[in-house]
Amino acid sequence: MSLMSITRRSLAAAVLAAAVPLSAAQAFEVGNPECIAPAAPGGGWDFTCRQAGKAMYDLKLVPSPMQVTNMTGGSGGVAYANVVAKRASDKNLIVAASSSTSARLAQGAYPGMNKDQVKWLGSIGADYGIIAVAKDSPVETLPQLIEKLKADPASVAVAGGSAVGGWDHLKVLNAARKAGVENLRQIKYVPFEGGGEAITQLLGGHVQAFTGDISEAKGFVDSGDIKILAVLAPERLPGEFGKFPTAREQGIDAIGANWRGFYGPGDMPKEAYDYWVSTIDSLYKSDEWQQIMAANGLMPLDLQGDEFAAFVAEQIKDTEELSREIGLIK
Amino acid sequence: MTSDRIFGGVGLALAAFFIWQATQIELGFSSDPLGPRSFPIIIGGVMALACIYPLVKPDPEADWPALGRLLEIALAVAVLIAYALALPVVGFVLATAVAAGILSWRLGSRPTGAALAGVGISVGIYVVFHLVLGLSLARGPWGF
Amino acid sequence: MDALASLMDGFAVALTWQNLGLALLGCFLGTIIGAMPGLGPSNGVAILIPVAFTLGLPATPAIILLTSVYYGAMYGGRISSILLNIPGDEPAMMTTLDGYPMARQGKAGEALALSGVASFVGAFFATWGLVFLAPLLVKVALLFGPAEYFALFLLAFATLGGIASRNQAKAAIAAAIGLGIAMIGVDGQTGVPRFTFDNVHLFDGIDFLVAIVGLFALSEVFIFLEHRGEGEGAGKAKTDLGRITVPLKTLKETSGTMTRGTIIGFIAGVLPGAGASLGSFVAYTLEKRFVDRKGTFGKGDPRGVAAPEAGNNAAAGGALVPMLALGVPGSGTTAVLLAMLLALNITPGPLLFQSNPDVVWGLIAALFIGNIMLLALNIPMVGVFVRVLQVPPRILMPAVAMISAVGIYGISGSSFDLLVMVGFGVLGWVLRKLDVPLVPIILGVLLGNMMEANLRRALTISNGDWSILWSSPLTIGLWFVAIVGFVLPMVAGRFFRVSRHHTAAEEGADPD
Repeated sequence: MSLMSITRRSLAAAVLAAAVPLSAAQAFEVGNPECIAPAAPGGGWDFTCRQAGKAMYDLKLVPSPMQVTNMTGGSGGVAYANVVAKRASDKNLIVAASSSTSARLAQGAYPGMNKDQVKWLGSIGADYGIIAVAKDSPVETLPQLIEKLKADPASVAVAGGSAVGGWDHLKVLNAARKAGVENLRQIKYVPFEGGGEAITQLLGGHVQAFTGDISEAKGFVDSGDIKILAVLAPERLPGEFGKFPTAREQGIDAIGANWRGFYGPGDMPKEAYDYWVSTIDSLYKSDEWQQIMAANGLMPLDLQGDEFAAFVAEQIKDTEELSREIGLIK
Repeated sequence: MTSDRIFGGVGLALAAFFIWQATQIELGFSSDPLGPRSFPIIIGGVMALACIYPLVKPDPEADWPALGRLLEIALAVAVLIAYALALPVVGFVLATAVAAGILSWRLGSRPTGAALAGVGISVGIYVVFHLVLGLSLARGPWGF
Repeated sequence: MDALASLMDGFAVALTWQNLGLALLGCFLGTIIGAMPGLGPSNGVAILIPVAFTLGLPATPAIILLTSVYYGAMYGGRISSILLNIPGDEPAMMTTLDGYPMARQGKAGEALALSGVASFVGAFFATWGLVFLAPLLVKVALLFGPAEYFALFLLAFATLGGIASRNQAKAAIAAAIGLGIAMIGVDGQTGVPRFTFDNVHLFDGIDFLVAIVGLFALSEVFIFLEHRGEGEGAGKAKTDLGRITVPLKTLKETSGTMTRGTIIGFIAGVLPGAGASLGSFVAYTLEKRFVDRKGTFGKGDPRGVAAPEAGNNAAAGGALVPMLALGVPGSGTTAVLLAMLLALNITPGPLLFQSNPDVVWGLIAALFIGNIMLLALNIPMVGVFVRVLQVPPRILMPAVAMISAVGIYGISGSSFDLLVMVGFGVLGWVLRKLDVPLVPIILGVLLGNMMEANLRRALTISNGDWSILWSSPLTIGLWFVAIVGFVLPMVAGRFFRVSRHHTAAEEGADPD
């Protein structure tokens, strides 16, 4: 296919998005697009790259197939440092990111790095948090669980798929904090390798509660093995998850959205930035992507460009506050 | 005899260093009773205990190669280190051809044969891993 | 028989020309990938995911392709273990112990053929296990909480003494080195960095692939450099390829071993987190402990080849149980397969058998087909594989070194990992000289984090009460086997065994 048609495509996309100056999209031609997945093949970031990259190519948003590069290390820190130090002005590069990225940045887990060293391009969906118990648990609502935590923190072990201080842990701490639990440090959080393993431990009766994302729990909710106490979304979710109450409607104003999206090199030319922002926007709005989101339990989160950067900044600030409050960082 | 004694000694020193490093681990926010230090300290303890045995009852002396052969191995190590560092700079095909060629030469090929082997190995791997399997190998200034 | 009827439907799905072709392609590629040091089943599957995407395959064919690669890689790993003393992937590590000595005795073809049969037996019966026992086994997997896992890993380490019958202290040192290496990186429980020396490359720890490729493959290259020219002893014996089939007598002798290896491997595979490596490891050590009366294990005993191969291929089948029925990956490979299923709009979990029966039963049918194809591919190809030994080391060894590097760099994209690999190569060479077994190092690296994590999880749950570690019948059983079966005999044996001397010249033949 000719480069002409690509430019026309991205022009069309830009018009659709109506967020980007026309001249920018016209002038810019992307070379061989590359997506860095800061993890090994098979993980969440890898799939962000592969699925989004494939959909972008299928939709003719990019001229050639997206090359996916896996760069492991430091929970994304190696890739982050690499982009900042070596690829700062690359126009063909995007990097997969998620709430883990912002949480790590907030907790200073990427040494010497901060959020302003890269350009935040856009989100492609969000995975909302849930708090759940096994089906035979006496606990029925989130406030009941919180009461148990208040009365005897040692009696409830909460399992999740991230490390202590990681995203799953922060969700349950945040909910407890919003519900007025005093001593957050006494909440027993047991980290496992991924949400699936944590749910297995819940089913086996080795722990009493589970904190994780909807996509991880979907199969077990459908089969009736676990009971969702609360969804950590601002309002009830669309579709089949609409039957589960939010934390907010139970009087606990806690939200946990695990977004998925991309950042690009910090000194990326303006045209390249505009190109990628509009490309991610067109991707998000395509039917193909909406289907992929539905298939993977991803919920709407449609933020690009400046809006997205502001959202990330806000989340980093929140995480930092919470982490400091519970003594995770100094 | 001596080798095992040295080995035991080095092992003991390593275990001591490991335990000392473990005590330096930040405790930070710890929600579990054991904390991040205990298990490494236990490992260091096991290592130290096990290292006493070769100190006290060493096996017969190992058969170390002559100095020339040691230098051969040192050269191979140097080539591999240079390879690791050069890979992102000059790209996969060139770096691999040179490194494989030198190794082949040192393993007894004639210089021309070694050069051919180097190029053959490099291009062969490139075709199989990059072109067929699509693995992302280091891209040099010429795109390969 | 409900399961059988469903399985028939599965065959109807799987038996199309396209699917058969994909299975054949997958088996072939998988075998090759498995045989390459540094590229194992998990990388193999991960590498082929984009291929499946590019071909635009629907769910069932895609998953058939990938599971064929998975099974193929499990078969393939043994090839380089036997021929070169370099495990093609981590579960094939145990196969070096007797497979390479067999090759040195001129029985490379026989070892390859036997291990092919053992792989088939393990994988075949594990697939039947998947058909009939999946729901039951899921309940067993749920019994394993943190305390049970800790006891299981402890048992694995207790069996280590059996591998190095000469000097258990050195095996213990090696295990401690491996466990120590596993501690490097950000602590999974609290997020604090440990032993990282502020180097961001160490924050994720050291990948066991880097360790295994360095310790086994590179050190082998160094051994060759050291002995270049004097190759008569090492080189000549190897060009003798021997027969390329298994004598019936050997098959008969090893049938019991294969059966036990299959059962142990399958159970280890079902437990999430334990996986194929533990399956092949325990299959070997138990066999050695309880069957090896004459001390021939480690010196080219065919049973020492059959046990781990039946074990690791059975574990591959077993690992599919928690993946399909719980959505929990039992190994690195199933984690990748799981991600692939999710990408194809299939949610593994308790409802998968009801909601996507065509995928599940098509997959299981494909496993049977792939397995038979692999046997059919592997036995005649033994003659081709052994020709690798006729490639002169001056070409073979550089190729091994470079393929190892590609396996590492292609996945991580990190020069740092390559440097660490070289470091492990030197370490492996020195330790071989000192007659320190390498297998315990890998076992330590593989299991260290999980062992610690489960100990700490257990103590978190019990609020610091150590008695949780021996409070369930299952934990008591595991402790009992570990102590009575392995630790006591080792301590008692101390007083009777005369230390056996051996010459350092054996070191090349001494891959453990």
